[in-house]
Amino acid sequence: MGDTLTVISPRDARAQRQVDRLLEQEGIQRDGNLDYTCGIFDSDWRLAATGSCYGNTIRCLAVDRERQGAGLLNQIVGRLMEVQAERGNTHLFLCTKPQSAKFFGDLGFYQIVRLDNLVFMENRCQGFARYCAALEKNRRKGTSAAIVMNANPFTLGHLHLVERAAAESDVVHLFVLSEEAGPIPFAVRKRRVQEGTAHLSNVICHDSGPYMVSAATFPSYFLKDEDTVVRTHAALDLAVFRKIAPCLNITRRYVGEERASRVTALYNQEMIRRLPELGLECRVVPRLEKNGKPVSASAVRQLIHDEQLEDIRPLVPDCTWNYFHAPEARAVIDAIQRAQNVIHQ
Amino acid sequence: MEILKPAIAGTLESSDAQVTVEPGERGIELTLTSSVMNPYGRQIKATVLETLERLEVKNARVIVVDKGALDCTLKARVECAVFRSCGQSAANIPWGGAVR
Repeated sequence: MGDTLTVISPRDARAQRQVDRLLEQEGIQRDGNLDYTCGIFDSDWRLAATGSCYGNTIRCLAVDRERQGAGLLNQIVGRLMEVQAERGNTHLFLCTKPQSAKFFGDLGFYQIVRLDNLVFMENRCQGFARYCAALEKNRRKGTSAAIVMNANPFTLGHLHLVERAAAESDVVHLFVLSEEAGPIPFAVRKRRVQEGTAHLSNVICHDSGPYMVSAATFPSYFLKDEDTVVRTHAALDLAVFRKIAPCLNITRRYVGEERASRVTALYNQEMIRRLPELGLECRVVPRLEKNGKPVSASAVRQLIHDEQLEDIRPLVPDCTWNYFHAPEARAVIDAIQRAQNVIHQ
Repeated sequence: MEILKPAIAGTLESSDAQVTVEPGERGIELTLTSSVMNPYGRQIKATVLETLERLEVKNARVIVVDKGALDCTLKARVECAVFRSCGQSAANIPWGGAVR
């Protein structure tokens, strides 16, 4: 009785500490990406339940164990769905522990894929099936390969990977991660990929859609340590990819070799180990090097961040170079320069 | 009435229902989740469809998450979602007409 459901501002340090304490008590870590948090407080202003949003997801849900079974989480989820509706997001996603999946099923969420330690859900019946059916329209004959990239921004390294795949396959399905997770907007990233691969007639660009989750926003709050997070993210990606591949006749996936980032290397390792188990070939393409250094998007972002825009010339194709020298790129360059850490995005 | 934008009404609390409507092209596409699906699923579906028909909604994707709402609650939530979706929730609600 006397409960109050209210928004918790990021600046409300006291309430945020209560959120942290409740999450910790229920064995959950605060997710690094949250853009709205609410909570239910009792009459003594103790936090009984909390939940958050990020983009089109809901995450970091917890109820005090002494208050469980009273429908508090329904109120939280209901509020989060209203908040999302106000933002124009009615197609929502969440990741949860397998033992909680049934609960979300009762709230109108449907399973997309299930792993041992995670269930990925959406609030659309047949949502993923429809996405797959839409992809089938682009199915082509012959050996079809897939590449998934963030292209943040599109570099000569990406181009090298695509050209290699295009030379070795009849068709290349190139998925650009459509999620917004950094200073360079999706529309900009995709446009550069399209321009940069226009000379390759057998490359088809796709939006990754909401089903391929980028590492930056992968909701990992209920997983224990970083390695588990990376492995689980890779496993989720693979489980989704496994369902997408047959729609486009994909038999092979290309990944760029990774040495600099431990996280990406671990991710690739999982790809290499598990794709063959799913009957898919995994080809690792060695990274393109310039002046003895590997070409990477994070190196390009770092140069832009350090106001050395001219130095990106050897690392990027003309389309990316021209974009960053056009007036329209000013806001994006400013955003990159303002960002604290541009390496892991 | 034509569904112009996605809209939501209701809550997920016990004895209520959450109704989401979105623009659609292929008639009424209804998705229903209910805590009382077995005994009342058919009646809930009929109530929702009847309400939509009364509001002359021809094309829409409708998602209902029912938590044991009475028929009157269900009707009210469907009406509210539809009115919100076509910007009518502030005024022009046809009391005594489509809304009975």
